Amino acid sequence: MKKYLKSVIALTAICAVVALLMAATNYLTAPIIEQNESAAANEALLVVMPEGEDFELMDLSGYELPATVTEVYAESTGGYVVKLTTAGYSTGLVIMCGVDAAGTVTGATCLASSETLGAEKTYGEKTVGKTAADIDTVDTVASMTKTTGAYRNAVKDALNAAVILGGGSVDLRSEEEILKDNLSAALPAAEGAFTPWFMVEELEGVSAVYVADNGSGTVFVKGEDFVVDPALAQKVAESKVEALDLSGYELPTAITKAEKTASGNYVFEVKGSGFGINGDKYYAPSGEPIMIRVSVTPAGKIIACETISQQETDGIGSACAEPAFYTQFNGKDESNYKDIDAISGATLTTNGYKTAVGKALEAVKILEGAA
Amino acid sequence: MKKNSNISVLFKGLLLENPVFVLVLGTCPTLATTQTVIGAFAMGIAAMVVLICSNVVISLLRKVIPDTVRIPCYIVIIAGFVTIVQMFMHAYLPELYELLGVYLALITVNCIILGRAEMFASKNSVAKSALDGVGMGLGFTLALLAMATLREVFGSGSFAGMEIPFLKDHTVDILTQAPGGLLVYGLLIFAVTAITQGRAPKKTSFGCEGCPSAGNCSACAEKEEN
Repeated sequence: MKKYLKSVIALTAICAVVALLMAATNYLTAPIIEQNESAAANEALLVVMPEGEDFELMDLSGYELPATVTEVYAESTGGYVVKLTTAGYSTGLVIMCGVDAAGTVTGATCLASSETLGAEKTYGEKTVGKTAADIDTVDTVASMTKTTGAYRNAVKDALNAAVILGGGSVDLRSEEEILKDNLSAALPAAEGAFTPWFMVEELEGVSAVYVADNGSGTVFVKGEDFVVDPALAQKVAESKVEALDLSGYELPTAITKAEKTASGNYVFEVKGSGFGINGDKYYAPSGEPIMIRVSVTPAGKIIACETISQQETDGIGSACAEPAFYTQFNGKDESNYKDIDAISGATLTTNGYKTAVGKALEAVKILEGAA
Repeated sequence: MKKNSNISVLFKGLLLENPVFVLVLGTCPTLATTQTVIGAFAMGIAAMVVLICSNVVISLLRKVIPDTVRIPCYIVIIAGFVTIVQMFMHAYLPELYELLGVYLALITVNCIILGRAEMFASKNSVAKSALDGVGMGLGFTLALLAMATLREVFGSGSFAGMEIPFLKDHTVDILTQAPGGLLVYGLLIFAVTAITQGRAPKKTSFGCEGCPSAGNCSACAEKEEN
């Protein structure tokens, strides 16, 4: 027993003495280590803010910042260095961005990434000198749109964060959220659930229509306004499309479905050949067409256009599925439907799309007996 | 030279009982930190400091530490010194601290240090244990330096970071990798064995008293009975 006790006491005593010694050393070295580490961190901060002086890590609780912001250092002259984590092709794209007191990007650098093509290594240089107003004018790098797009958005988030931290306010909602909020504000009874209605009728000044899922009404987008218009809603509710009897007509083969409304408008589903079909033989083509829905008046004016499905290159041609692209056709006719902004880096997709819309206009002519 | 005289204690670690090339202890840090001369030197000095300190303390406490818990006691003492060295390096030599990385902490389990505690410090006076620490530490450092010099000069074409004009264009890349490290290690063991020509103690001469597991070993118990 005595032997065991002696062992326990000896080991405990040694542990205690060693712990004390370590504590003393830690007491001596911890402040120096901390100082060294903050000096090293400052060095990284100076890369993105060469004119910066003293940096201090901020406590971000109490601020509502963009989700990508992970750390912010306040600089003594009023600037901020923002550390952001976002995702390009893969997650873990870590960016450090300096924003001076005037809200201008002083520098941006990538701290860590697992992107495949390395665009993030130098892309930050392009954002230097930009402000929240013109950051969107920085071009993404073709074929590396995902990486550089995410990078640019992160820099934008840094600029927004600087505004918020400086006491300003920034609308951090995404376009979808803004749309949803506007719709709900126009028609609270719908409880936020809407389905877009594909416009097959000409509605004066209306650019989009959203029908409440619970049947409480319909919201019309007129320019910047979201309005509830019972007269127009009636028109929407009464609108009906019926399959067209195509016997006797020889429509372009791209037309896969043709319908007509009671008011005489045509609705077509058209197959467009995008990059995968026209495409470059060295690039894996999907071989899938772009499916487009177009409504056209008997006079040949496009009422609305939308993309039903597409398999274009993700991040490039896939932009043809964005309303920003296809709503460009709304209101156009044979004379000017080709005058739309092409998708950057995706000429084949854009051309295929235009051709498909053209086929719909051609079909109207045939059906109206004009051709 | 009288066996176990102070001078022989000091010098035996350099060649005759060199911990790396003769006792073949501490192989892992030897291979890992000898890519650069600076790294090897820092590792050698750090290990030497821990070795001297732990040898002195263990020798001081050799009559106090009960036999049954001696290994845990040694490990606690060694780990304590390693942590202290680590903290000082982190504070005052941050570059070397970064360079050595995890191997600095792993000095705790370096066989040389535990080996010397068990084989020497626990049986000898404080002064001799300190000398043994210096000798073994120097032996370890010199061995690391010899390996690192060969590996860096021929593998990277530089010495302690300074480029060597002709060699920098004619590097043997494998030397900077683990297989090259083993190759150089083997060649140096061969060289040391050739120089000492069997004067180095044979493995068997350490006997059971040199083995940390001696107390719990059935083979040892049988031997004693006979």
